[in-house]
Amino acid sequence: MINYIIRRLLILPVILFGVSVLVFAMLMLVGPYQRLSTYIKSPAELKTANLDSLVEKYGLNDPFHQQYGRWISGVLKGDFGWSETAGATVTEAVLQRFPATLELALLALIPVIMGGINLGVFSAVHHNDPWDHVTRVFSIVGWSIPTFVFGLVVLMIFYGVLGWFPPGRLSVWASDIIRSSEFVQYTHLNIIDGLLNANLKVVGDAIRHLVAPVFSISILWWAYILRITRSSMLETLRKDYIRTARSKGVKERVVVKKHARKNALIPVVTVAGHMVLGLLGGLVITETIFGYQGLGQFFASAASQLDYAAVLGLALYFGFLLILINLCVDVSYAIIDPRIRLE
Amino acid sequence: MSKEKLIDVKNLATYFHTEEGTVKAVDGVSFEIYPGETLGVVGESGCGKSVTSLSIMRLIESPPGKIETGEIIFDNKDLTKSTQKEMRKIRGNDISMIFQEPMTSLNPVYTVGDQIMEAILIHKDVNKKQARQESIDMLTKVGIPLPEQRVDEYPHQLSGGMRQRVMIAMALSCDPQLLIADEPTTALDVTIQAQILELMNGLKDQFGMAIMMITHDLGVIAEVSDRVAVMYAGKIVEYTDVETLYANPKHPYTWGLMHSIPHIEKDVDRLQAIPGSVPNPLDFPQGCKYNTRCPFATDKCREVEPEIEEIEESHQVACWHVDKLEEAKAKEKKEKEKE
Repeated sequence: MINYIIRRLLILPVILFGVSVLVFAMLMLVGPYQRLSTYIKSPAELKTANLDSLVEKYGLNDPFHQQYGRWISGVLKGDFGWSETAGATVTEAVLQRFPATLELALLALIPVIMGGINLGVFSAVHHNDPWDHVTRVFSIVGWSIPTFVFGLVVLMIFYGVLGWFPPGRLSVWASDIIRSSEFVQYTHLNIIDGLLNANLKVVGDAIRHLVAPVFSISILWWAYILRITRSSMLETLRKDYIRTARSKGVKERVVVKKHARKNALIPVVTVAGHMVLGLLGGLVITETIFGYQGLGQFFASAASQLDYAAVLGLALYFGFLLILINLCVDVSYAIIDPRIRLE
Repeated sequence: MSKEKLIDVKNLATYFHTEEGTVKAVDGVSFEIYPGETLGVVGESGCGKSVTSLSIMRLIESPPGKIETGEIIFDNKDLTKSTQKEMRKIRGNDISMIFQEPMTSLNPVYTVGDQIMEAILIHKDVNKKQARQESIDMLTKVGIPLPEQRVDEYPHQLSGGMRQRVMIAMALSCDPQLLIADEPTTALDVTIQAQILELMNGLKDQFGMAIMMITHDLGVIAEVSDRVAVMYAGKIVEYTDVETLYANPKHPYTWGLMHSIPHIEKDVDRLQAIPGSVPNPLDFPQGCKYNTRCPFATDKCREVEPEIEEIEESHQVACWHVDKLEEAKAKEKKEKEKE
């Protein structure tokens, strides 16, 4: 298994290279003058500037390999270019937003996976009785409501009416604290940093800001994981080896938790992988609704403003994330099911 | 037989209440098993033999299944009235079961050893180390080579025959009084079938347990059984010892089954299959359920269902026209003599 992991990690650069060529080629489909718009700060410049010489200056008309070569040689030196949207280098911009996304993702993952799996198992065990119907209705409703509707409703009620959970990542006073010299930002995850600095006010404020976005993401994924777990469990509970376990005198609770659940988890792991990818890739809608400065929002605005240095950098980040998560999913399969051998 | 009965099933009826209607999978079945003997239960698919065994184990999924009437007396207790908690003490301990599909009957994510140990740890007062040693001993007893290695392997690493041996090891690990074997050889190659049957016969003597052997294969019955119950459409239609059954079948269905076995010494162009197929359990015919396929069926058969009766000593048959079958047998014999 170790060999397999190492081999997969060694392929990583090759795949990332492929991803970068592809994305770069797609961006090249946009004409040089359109791409020039990234470098124009205001409409006023359009009147004064010599556009042809600017295209020449930035090499936007050069052959593909030259343009790609310039970009990739920078990347190899650790320079992903300048992002106009962020007003910072791409690396800085991503590093600045990544902790926000990570914090949101981590917090959402726990209730979603644990809650979704447990409710799914519960629902399957209580197949067709009232509890099963309640969970099923809940999961269909949860899965059907679009995030932009649910998120807005949550924001409206819990911020607009009740004023409990404000948007953003931190209140102004808390931002001032974490930027102050006494406060050390170890991880840039506000909750953890707050704990490490023994500043519970910051922790509380960070959590207060996270409740609403975490809640609105959770409902959707929770419902999905629940459905997958439920159907997988129902199928597993009909398997011959479940009957065998019962015929040995195994308690029903143990039949469910030991014999069935482990077997039923395989499809759930796949979905959980998708979910982690979705969460760490950034949640455009959720972040936009809750004014949360994460990667999703950054990617959306970079793409809409043709900020191609940022788009390329983020594409590489996605590629990296995808490969890493798929690797984790594969490894989890092998841990759960001994029939799956990683070769 | 004067010995005390190990298990006494009286008038057992198990129905499944489905949306399409009630399926009378087992409808008034009575039989008994004595200590140390093998009772064969034979019949076509869907005749209720598996449901009978699962009813004894109280493993019928409910709903839709339900034991409607009857008693299952085991160890002076009626199992139909036992709680699931009481049943768990019996399952795998006093009564164990092995199943048709060794490929799917073992949990793929746990080692063979874990699965055998589980039963031992539930029913015996031993620690993990002792349980593991007992598992290895059991694997040795069922003839698995290199048991110390095999104990840590997963089911997918074993062949079908080996897995069935593991199932047997698991079932016998707590020294049960009764082993219910539900088509244990059906999914296996013929050579492996013979090995498994031989193993079961050997272990039966070694462990002194009784076996309830469920199968559709009369060859298997002949090889292992002391007594046989022939089931058709949820009922026992003939019930006697194995020699009598083969020498002198009294029910037209048993007779039909015997005729559909190929014999190596006889040269026939075509086997005599029983015409038609098993009736739909949602729509059983009125009267004797075999009347749609029986060559001797009369109006009486189509109206009134015959009860199973003792027509000779320890030979029970449920048929109105045992005499007609005798005539047919005599005719057949004459024809043979002519040839």
